[in-house]
Amino acid sequence: MNRYFLYLVILNMLINVIIFIPKILIEYRYKGAVMGVLIAIPIGIGMNYLYSHALNKFPGQGLPEILAHSKYRWLVNLHLGSIQIMWFSAGLITLLGFTDILSRFVNPEMPKLFLITIYLAAIFLIIQLPTKRVMYFLEIVLYLNTPLIGFIIYKTLTSEFLSWDSILEVGTHLFEKPSLKAMAAATYSFSGFTNLIIFNRVIKERLKIWNFIIILFLGIFNLFTTFFIPIGFHGSDGAQEYLYPWISTSDSLRLVYSPIERVLYIFLMFYMSISLMSISIHWHVALELLKGTFKEKENKKKNWMILAAFTCCAFAGVLFLNTVLLNKITAYWMILLLGVEVITVTIFFLWARRRTA
Amino acid sequence: MKEIVRSMEMPSNKVLSIKEDLKEKIMQSEDAVFKELHTKEKYIEALYIKTISDETVIQDYVVKPFFEITTAERFLDYLQSHPKVKPFENEEQTLEELIRGVAILFYQDFIFIFDSKVDRNNSVLDTTVETTIQGPQSGLSESLPTNLGLIRHRYPETTLKVESTTIGAISKTKVMILHDEKLVDQDVLRRVKEFLASVDIQMFQTGEQLLDLIKKSNRALFPVMLVTERPDRVAVNLAAGKVVLLVSGSSFAVVLPTVMKDFMASMEDIYQTYWVSIFLQVLRYVGFVTSLILPGLYVAVTSYNPELFRFQLALSIAGSRTAVPYPSFVEVVIMLFMMELLTEASIRLPKAIGPTATTVGGLILGQAATEAGLVSNIMIIIVSAVAISNFVVPINAFSFSVRIVKYIILALATCFGLVGVVLGFFMFLAYMVKLDSFGQPFLTLVQTKSSKE
Amino acid sequence: MKTLVKWRLIVISLSAVLLLNGCGFKDIDKRLFVVSIGVDKAKNSSKKYLVSLKFAIPGGKNKANDFFIVTEKADSMAEAVRAIKTKVDKEIDFSHAKVVVFSEEMVKLTDNAGVYYWLARRRDIQEIAWVAIGTPTAMDVLKVKPKSEQLPSNALFLSLGKDGSETPYIISEFYFDMKKRLIERGLDPFLPIIEAKKELLEVNSVGLFNKSKLILSLTQEETKILNHIMNRENKSALWVKTGNIKFIVSTTKIKTKYKIITLKGKQPCIKVSVKVKGNIEEMTAKITNEQLSRFEKAAEKRLKKQIKEVLVKIQKANVDPIGFGLRYRSRHFNNNDWEEWQRIYPHLAFKVDAKVEISDTGLIE
Repeated sequence: MNRYFLYLVILNMLINVIIFIPKILIEYRYKGAVMGVLIAIPIGIGMNYLYSHALNKFPGQGLPEILAHSKYRWLVNLHLGSIQIMWFSAGLITLLGFTDILSRFVNPEMPKLFLITIYLAAIFLIIQLPTKRVMYFLEIVLYLNTPLIGFIIYKTLTSEFLSWDSILEVGTHLFEKPSLKAMAAATYSFSGFTNLIIFNRVIKERLKIWNFIIILFLGIFNLFTTFFIPIGFHGSDGAQEYLYPWISTSDSLRLVYSPIERVLYIFLMFYMSISLMSISIHWHVALELLKGTFKEKENKKKNWMILAAFTCCAFAGVLFLNTVLLNKITAYWMILLLGVEVITVTIFFLWARRRTA
Repeated sequence: MKEIVRSMEMPSNKVLSIKEDLKEKIMQSEDAVFKELHTKEKYIEALYIKTISDETVIQDYVVKPFFEITTAERFLDYLQSHPKVKPFENEEQTLEELIRGVAILFYQDFIFIFDSKVDRNNSVLDTTVETTIQGPQSGLSESLPTNLGLIRHRYPETTLKVESTTIGAISKTKVMILHDEKLVDQDVLRRVKEFLASVDIQMFQTGEQLLDLIKKSNRALFPVMLVTERPDRVAVNLAAGKVVLLVSGSSFAVVLPTVMKDFMASMEDIYQTYWVSIFLQVLRYVGFVTSLILPGLYVAVTSYNPELFRFQLALSIAGSRTAVPYPSFVEVVIMLFMMELLTEASIRLPKAIGPTATTVGGLILGQAATEAGLVSNIMIIIVSAVAISNFVVPINAFSFSVRIVKYIILALATCFGLVGVVLGFFMFLAYMVKLDSFGQPFLTLVQTKSSKE
Repeated sequence: MKTLVKWRLIVISLSAVLLLNGCGFKDIDKRLFVVSIGVDKAKNSSKKYLVSLKFAIPGGKNKANDFFIVTEKADSMAEAVRAIKTKVDKEIDFSHAKVVVFSEEMVKLTDNAGVYYWLARRRDIQEIAWVAIGTPTAMDVLKVKPKSEQLPSNALFLSLGKDGSETPYIISEFYFDMKKRLIERGLDPFLPIIEAKKELLEVNSVGLFNKSKLILSLTQEETKILNHIMNRENKSALWVKTGNIKFIVSTTKIKTKYKIITLKGKQPCIKVSVKVKGNIEEMTAKITNEQLSRFEKAAEKRLKKQIKEVLVKIQKANVDPIGFGLRYRSRHFNNNDWEEWQRIYPHLAFKVDAKVEISDTGLIE
């Protein structure tokens, strides 16, 4: 069951390409992104450890169950509510970002509203599954896709067009004052652990220490690839000109012998399922928390109402947000998320210690 | 002793009334027989239906001893100790047994039920549906005891438990529930029994009907139980802790719970060497995915994203489509429809002309359609690839379901292009994960043995 | 009842979806694939560019693939494409435009950024399209149809890509790499030059840019040496003459490393070291395997000289296709490293060190 924890963290690491993180990091490449990333690594690992350690004291329970008997009902609601909103918006940003990518690269003539409906249909199918089944599905999706992403990363690293000098040039800006935005964006790679709020239900054993060691190495590698590979391909000065640095990077790879010559399309197909999974996981957490907030018995009608609300938000997002605006909002949202995470983790850790001590 | 002596003379009124009752209920039938046998000391009456009872058995075990054993007490002892003889319980049950072929014996003040059922379908059949190249070639028979014997023969474990029940308001078909007490998941067993108890049907002929019955309750697109004709498969599944249902009069056994993995497994996997069976497994999964997404992918690539494939390929697709007068999805639907007709037809046709029809249909139709410019060359290749890869799936019931799903993916591809294909495929996977077979998730990567949800 | 309502919902939404259908649905035979784009300087016109698009006509069962070229004069690419759209019957699809050819005159103009960036802005043009300079005009390059060509422009794809012919005289360039070089400080663009002959395309030289403007064209031999320095191609040949013996080394491996050395008070220099492995393919006099070390020395001497000449020539033109400037920037932590480099580069010295290993003299001694 330990592996389930890893899946959740890895999923967030994979999805950060869609959720504007390379863009934010590359924007601040001369202005403190490198230091920001370096600071983000210990923060991310630390939060991972503290939170999962605290939750581990309640094996097989999600946060709503743990807090169900708390006396301070309003505090619990506030706590769950804020996480729920953060997590719903995380899914929403991914959804909007990816819809935007799809409408640019795959279906340019199709209205975004139309494109988003099929996504919503798939997402709603998944988020209503029991938590355990969502996990099973995540496992399948990851196993189907990991060889592909491994192959693409291997291709980028061995490409003759990857300019290590450009990467090192950005590296020489190590001693700039760290940028908060870049740091917040980099911690997002590690924040998959927050899904444990609900997914702790399927983790019945103690998390072993090697999980965190793997996360540390994967995280470093992941941040390196998200940040530096686009720079290596598009230059230290040129990378920031691209709206989606990683997507353009994948388009810069050529598979000479494959029937699909442009890696871009392999990459997008791979991300179609990864983003579907990421949104579903986030929204599943949001949905379950919502169910936990209203303590009444769940009925079908309420369920449908929540889904309708989700749909409305998604539609409104598509109609009112353009890419540039979404990008800007995301940068600030990341800072907010980091704040919420730090507060949540600290409070919960202290509470769990007092509770079990 | 005294009691027996008294009853020797004359049966009591109660027995008499039962006898009259039974006779009255059964004697309208042409084939019902009521026989009386007399000697000096004793007499016996037998009631049975000759078409479903084995008269030689009655002759051997009742009539002959009756005349050989002289004293009344000794014959009573004989009857009471004979393994085929059961004592009378109640009238209703007796009647039920009677119409299944037992003989009712009225002796003194006793009523005995003598098992003289004839088993006419006990010949072991060859496998016809799930054929393998190597390994056992014989399947189950249509007789319940024979089948049970076959399975016990392959699964000699004391823990093998057999329970039985009946299904069907009219048919009253006997169904045996087999499981290994040691290995079975009790929760699954409970669910299976609940399900069987809830089945409401008049005529129950074969295990396949259960597939349909469980579907009506949740409209599943996929079968969640496996129907097999192979005793070796049954034995292997028993060893894996599954529950097996044997239905009287059907040469198919039902295995529960069944998950995706079981549908993709052929018995041949066990009879081949490791790498061969791995290769075959991979082949099956590839075929499965191919038959699912290929038509959709074709539409998506030709009509939405021709940039997906390399230029040379795109150009040859474009070239072969120049003469085709309608959009790609119409082309695909037409050809798939033709193919489905061919497959259906070749199942219905007599075995002798089946292959001819397929050849004529497949080869000549395909050739002519491209010549006439109705469909493109590449389309023909795709349709035949889909048709062939569909039959790589070893279990028929499952491959039929897959046939349907590909149309859903095709529809999504027509509306959404490449996104539709990929999301359609993953929605299909999600659906399979959602589906459960008696508490077991239908599709997981790691099939944990007993998962309690 | 409940399921019935659900089904009705599904049917309604499906039919709505089908009604909406038609957005973006366009069959492959209703599209015209652009296989290559040519940009020339417009002559005798107030407009700036002459844009030509080469379209592929897919062949059917009995006819071969064909192509046609549509041209348009315009001040920008977007305008030209809009105008060309009115001249063709099907939707123009740029997704298979794999080669972009600029004419020599055009790349000598100064403000071409609009054209260069147009390629990146369009989502459907591949980042892995090859870019090249065409002489005498880009249009002429597009028009050429070599005898061995099966698909339109395939000859260009094969010679620029490494999957066809492998020669050290072609340094092909992908669009994304050119775009990177356009603004990366310390790394300048270069493009291969394609010469249109009657039924042949000749690619054997390279044009060096000072950012967006063509400054210098190298000769065939110089192109080969530049290729060696940039480690782009291993299979090559060295022509060496010692005394009156001429011999040719066919190489299997060429590896170049360089290091920038800036010591205080001394002239800054770049140390370039080349390692070559190969065997002798042709010679005018008999060379035995024992004598090989002597010829290795001769080859080294020749290689050193050639490399130094090319480097100096590039330096004189003040362009930097190899990326010395970027290397300097990446090794210095200060923020004004780029300004420093601009001062250093013109009087930089080159120290070339070559090592040639000749394994044998081929199959016969």
